[in-house]
Amino acid sequence: MKLKVLPPTLRKNNRYLTLDIKIESPITKDNLVTVIWDACIRFKGESITSNFNLWVMKFYEITKTDDYYHYKAIVRCQRDFVSEVRSSLALANMYNGTRISVTTIGLSGTIRASQRFI
Amino acid sequence: MFFDLNIKGSSLENNLKLARQAFEYGWNHINFSYNQNDFADALDLRKDLADDLGDTINFDYTLEIKSTNINEIRKFTNKFRNSVACISVIGGDLKVNRAVLENVKIDVLSRPYLKRYDSGLNHVLSKEAVKNNVAVELCFKDVLRSYLAPRAKLISNFRDIYTLYRKFDFPMILSSRAESVFDIRTTHDFISVFSQTGLTGDEINRSFETAGNILKFNENRGSMIFSGVRRVDDEA
Repeated sequence: MKLKVLPPTLRKNNRYLTLDIKIESPITKDNLVTVIWDACIRFKGESITSNFNLWVMKFYEITKTDDYYHYKAIVRCQRDFVSEVRSSLALANMYNGTRISVTTIGLSGTIRASQRFI
Repeated sequence: MFFDLNIKGSSLENNLKLARQAFEYGWNHINFSYNQNDFADALDLRKDLADDLGDTINFDYTLEIKSTNINEIRKFTNKFRNSVACISVIGGDLKVNRAVLENVKIDVLSRPYLKRYDSGLNHVLSKEAVKNNVAVELCFKDVLRSYLAPRAKLISNFRDIYTLYRKFDFPMILSSRAESVFDIRTTHDFISVFSQTGLTGDEINRSFETAGNILKFNENRGSMIFSGVRRVDDEA
């Protein structure tokens, strides 16, 4: 049996980060999930990361240039921890021996609104 | 205004990529830094860079002196002082840190904590920095490229510098020292990282103002007779 949905006052407040990802080799959505969790746990630790409520909502392939593969993604996090998540993601710089750059280009309260940054 | 006074300069093509990426991520002004050996050649790229970038982003050059010889640092500073917007010296060696902070002609002591087990600054050096108006530079790339214990120790050194900064109020600037597009982040991310290491929003904003003030001060440095007295041309 499914759990009953919580009333709005008891739900967690979310924010949606639009990420700009550049990497030397191609990645999948699952790889991005690993990158995000590793970055957060490495910088903020397991205890603080447990508050982040992270979820990769959408993943877009944008272009491929001579230097890098370009992706964008929408990631959910808890409202009060936006700065912690941003800083953790900004400090991700390697994945499987290839250079990666993850930076937040947009922040909004709904997925729909965050799609304007794509 | 978001200033980054230390983006590692290289070829024209790479500089263009970095400048365009920085503009896209919200930076207003960047300085390409070259060491004393490459600086003269880099000046030849200035016109081509200006033509290609147009009005997108302001840029200038930083002379980054890398030497452990104090006399050599003084020699390069005097040689390039009037032709460059910012002179920065890479720190880490205690003698270099002290000599740089005592030299009023130098603008920035870059990374006093480099290859050290401490922050490279103390109360004596902090007072010298205030007296001679030499800024202390902390680099984002040092945090980005390190991991686990070295990163933790580096952030601890940053916190020691913040403590001295709060007590003595010496000029402090934050820069990325980006070498490729993988090292550049948006201005908000840059601020978030430094706020997570213990700086407040006001202190981060002041660091950008300090960077702007260095460039503004150096525009008029040639007509400066001594500190506080400047030769003016307008006959009012």
